[in-house]
Amino acid sequence: MSEASNHGASKMYGMVIDLDKCTGCGACMVACMAENNVPFKEDESDKLKSITWLRLYKLNNGKPFPDVQICYLPRPCMHCGGEGNHGHSPCVSVCPATATDYDLETGIVSQIYTRCFGCRYCMAACPYHARYFNWWDPVWPEGMERYLNPNVSVRMRGVVEKCSFCYHRYQIAKNNAYNNGSREVLEHEYQTACTQACPAGSITFGDLNNPKHEVYKLKQNKNAFRLLEKLKTNPKVYYISKLEWVRKLGDNYRS
Amino acid sequence: MKVSRRDFLSLGAGATIGTALTPLPWKLMDDVSIWTQNWAWTPFPEDGEVTYVTSTCTLCPGGCGIMVRKVNNRAVKIEGLKGHPLNQGGICLLGLSGLQLLYDNKKRIKTPLKRIGKKGEEKFEPISWEQAISEVCDKLSNLRLKGESHTVAGIVSSKFGVLNNLFKRFLTAYGSPNFLTPQSGSDSYSTAMFLMQGVDCNAGFDIENSSFILSFGAGLIEGWGSPVRIFRERTNFNQNGGKLIQIEPRLSNTGAKADKWLPLKPGAETVLALGFAHVIIKESLYKKDFINTYTQGFDKWKQTIIDTYTPSYVSKITGVKEEEIISIAMDFAKSSFPIAICGNGKDRTPESLSHSMAVHSLNGLVGNINRKGGIWTVPLPDYINWQEALIDDIAQNGIKKERIDSAGTKQYIYAKSLLNRLPEVVNLGKNYPINLLFISEDNPIYTLPNTNDVIKAFEKIPFIVNFTSYLDETSVHSDLILPNHTYLERYEDVSTPPYFIKPIISMAKPVISPIFNTKHTGDLIISMAKKLGGKISESFPWDSYNDCLKKTLNDKWQMLEEGGFWVNSTFNPSKAENQFKTASGKFEFLNAAISALSPGDIIKPEGDNSVFPLILIAYDSIRLSSGFIESPPFLIKAVESTILKQNDVVVEINPQTAKNYSLKEGDRIILTTPKGEAKTKVHLFDGIMPDIIALPKGLGHSNKGLNINNLMGQIEDPSSGFNICSGIRAKIAKA
Amino acid sequence: MDALDDEKKNTSKGFGILFFIIGVIMSLIIGWIIFPKLLYSKKNQPIDFNHKLHMASVDNGCASCHFLRKDGSFSGSPKLSECIGCHSQVQGQDPEELKFVEQYVSKNREVPWLIYSKQPACVFFSHAAHIKGAKMDCVTCHGYIGESTSLKVYEQNRISGYSRDIWGKDISGILKKNSWDSMKMDDCAVCHESKSNKSAREKSVQTQKEGCFVCHK
Repeated sequence: MSEASNHGASKMYGMVIDLDKCTGCGACMVACMAENNVPFKEDESDKLKSITWLRLYKLNNGKPFPDVQICYLPRPCMHCGGEGNHGHSPCVSVCPATATDYDLETGIVSQIYTRCFGCRYCMAACPYHARYFNWWDPVWPEGMERYLNPNVSVRMRGVVEKCSFCYHRYQIAKNNAYNNGSREVLEHEYQTACTQACPAGSITFGDLNNPKHEVYKLKQNKNAFRLLEKLKTNPKVYYISKLEWVRKLGDNYRS
Repeated sequence: MKVSRRDFLSLGAGATIGTALTPLPWKLMDDVSIWTQNWAWTPFPEDGEVTYVTSTCTLCPGGCGIMVRKVNNRAVKIEGLKGHPLNQGGICLLGLSGLQLLYDNKKRIKTPLKRIGKKGEEKFEPISWEQAISEVCDKLSNLRLKGESHTVAGIVSSKFGVLNNLFKRFLTAYGSPNFLTPQSGSDSYSTAMFLMQGVDCNAGFDIENSSFILSFGAGLIEGWGSPVRIFRERTNFNQNGGKLIQIEPRLSNTGAKADKWLPLKPGAETVLALGFAHVIIKESLYKKDFINTYTQGFDKWKQTIIDTYTPSYVSKITGVKEEEIISIAMDFAKSSFPIAICGNGKDRTPESLSHSMAVHSLNGLVGNINRKGGIWTVPLPDYINWQEALIDDIAQNGIKKERIDSAGTKQYIYAKSLLNRLPEVVNLGKNYPINLLFISEDNPIYTLPNTNDVIKAFEKIPFIVNFTSYLDETSVHSDLILPNHTYLERYEDVSTPPYFIKPIISMAKPVISPIFNTKHTGDLIISMAKKLGGKISESFPWDSYNDCLKKTLNDKWQMLEEGGFWVNSTFNPSKAENQFKTASGKFEFLNAAISALSPGDIIKPEGDNSVFPLILIAYDSIRLSSGFIESPPFLIKAVESTILKQNDVVVEINPQTAKNYSLKEGDRIILTTPKGEAKTKVHLFDGIMPDIIALPKGLGHSNKGLNINNLMGQIEDPSSGFNICSGIRAKIAKA
Repeated sequence: MDALDDEKKNTSKGFGILFFIIGVIMSLIIGWIIFPKLLYSKKNQPIDFNHKLHMASVDNGCASCHFLRKDGSFSGSPKLSECIGCHSQVQGQDPEELKFVEQYVSKNREVPWLIYSKQPACVFFSHAAHIKGAKMDCVTCHGYIGESTSLKVYEQNRISGYSRDIWGKDISGILKKNSWDSMKMDDCAVCHESKSNKSAREKSVQTQKEGCFVCHK
């Protein structure tokens, strides 16, 4: 991997999701679908085939009535940096087509649909089930294609897709910065659709490297953890929970 | 010259080499691979200038501010409006899916339709607006001539606002008392506050600043109140160290996020609340200064509570342990800003009056009324100040008649409207028949319990005129559909979101121009009035709905048009003069009116428990819309597979109960209640009490799952007449 | 017999070369002349617009009509509302203008311009970065359209649906003369990867292998 370009320090965009605040309402899921032109089929109850870039998992502590506890966990793409953050993400390492790659400027794992030829190696490699395959062509019922967002291209049958941290919003923010004679994208100028929609304020998004950004402080919370940390995928999504069983479940390889 | 096989081969070889030296193969390969990425049927969304339109979401009573992103003339995304007092930029998943309702060519009604098939058969023919309006007006004139104006009724789902008032005014000027609106939990709470504080108000709960919430089934994060506001305030409440106790038979999301979930059988809430009151009084933990200075009837009420609702008695009846009753009551009373709230999930169905009053008594005991972190009396909107409708003799005769639902009569003295009683009275043919029914933005065939009876009643009504944008269960049973603009294509004032603590008006305004040949219901009422002529016409001095709205909102119009909302942000309930308007001028635990009502007791679910050993309850999920609006595809997609599997709804059952029936996860069962039968699958869930099974509200449209109202009945609250049914007896058998 | 056979062989060998050459020439003609003609369908623009004429009467060059919006996005071809200021009535004698006023302005219908440089759905291109960031002029990528008096025929690839200006006039892709002759990803790389153009390579956004998301969406 080559050095990042020489215009400013490289960023590392990431998310901190406070599970104590998350209510499991699902607004993040739908905000994501609406923003990113995610299609829907007649039957979406097979969740393995239901394309949901950001999926809300319902966890429980496994105890019987009435001691059962429930916690919701939203799972976007983790945008793994791999060990040392050089971009050795599980998916990037296996892609034979360079359809998915690690952006050293932002730390975002890209997915170029027109380059993908659908081998699905990345899906097998991803430990978070964050990638989805288009088994069918997307079809919008007559009339509904009118709400499609031009900032995100519509995927075709036979390619893999996943959460992009709403990268198109970074493109637009950056474009706007150029227009105003600057190159810096401020924290509030680039926020993902799920962060923006969350009614409980549980998702925070920003540059994990930037001490001025909210996420920088939040990730240092004593109850912060990442999913399957032992795999050393170095994910950029942190979770906070005061419940010990949730933290344990989040990293179930750790004794 | 003879051309040999060899020559052909040479030609072929030459052509091959020659072709390789042209761009043809490489260009073809490239173009074909591009072609596979650009199927003609893969949409290429048109780009263009991005603009935002500020409006208000009316998909639920919440009234959140929205910003709709447009690209040229297309609406592409709905987002929460930053700075709106209710949602502060947040938005729920239904609000986010609004464009799927706007752009649904299949479900939207595109032009006025007249029924030509049987009711429910979905056979309609398109007609012109002129014909549609003259057909309705002819019917109306005939009924009026026959002196039967009172046999016309109107159902309007919005409880406040200009459209609601126009409709009511139309019926009054025409000569019918039968203006019906659906009831919800806030109606029972407001009635309780009216009885105890003497004010006709909207109850406001200052969730954010309270320190302890004792919730009797209120689905704080299931969609109770103004959902996004409550979501946000619950987060702040939680961050400030507030404690939430959730009392309900099934572990909802609210229960999951609470500090404690207290499982309780449905119908036992009133007794438990009074049990808490007993402990607070006994332990002398009530706010004495408030009780002594601002209340009336405390001593007499106290005596009943002390005598009857002892922890041992309450424990025996409700099944909650004595220690738990005592400790929760003490924690509640010792907290600095405790709030007790009730509400069945999203609160779309009312509670019994005794339940609301028991809960409000708890708030009275801790003196947490009209102060920070407490319960506020928020004045009802007062911006609609029209002159009285002009009433001719026929109208005078008509409006004097008793209402079809008997609301406001001696029997149902506190009810303003009892829509739940309509199917029964129509089916029994009590009082008088209904000859013409208007329905505006409601789907009673779907939302009222005991669907079979509702359909029977609606089939008895000879002429149903439906002002709806969508083809739904009720519109297919209508005789005439006069399609309204959707909420993104029209103006509408939205006020009084349930349980908000400040007077607020928001405005919905057209985001795009109407897609189909639709008309604003408000405009239709005005044109019908004009066509009927006489005093009815004179009662409507406006050119159009917009004219009426503009004149009504008067000085607030410009602010609403530009900013989207008006709020009285300095409203302070403790400063409001005469906060208690009862006879004594105080908060009354007991008075003549309250004594006349039936006391708090267990509400028994319908059905014989020897035949139906289980209880089926309906629960709310924020991921499903259970009212007039059908859940759009994004919501159905977001529903868990433990709730909807393919087209089957899944019933939740405690693993212990499942064991009794030898049921495993995913087994098919037949579920029977006194009202109906359904085939479902089971999901074993530890978050539900044994012998109780639960189904979600809001499914059953478009063959997705089952409308739980098919299985539910009604229980009439003797004090208010509201339907307070939250469960019904049931049995299951392996299918 | 042997001699006869030899003769036969010789003649057929001679013919063989002839056939070979015919094959080569035929396929070259097909590949270089006929195929490119067949591959593209030709469409005329709805109005034959005279850029030169308009350039003379505007103050701000190309940006008078093709401008960056307030939010930095590029406006593309002008909307009717921008033309209506002058063309609410017919101005001159040109039949094209008459057509424009009669068929579009008076009917309030947008002109369905065919966009020569329309990129596919998966491409994000920032005009602001190039115009404001790199201070480039329009001609560098789009050529001297501003000096034209007539719009050229729009050619559309029958298979991929792309405009011919994307893949390039010369379909071999090796005979590119001007920077605006084609607009494929490789054409962006001409500047962004160029060793001589240091500023484009180093000061621009990351254009290394990892930078897919810079231009894709």
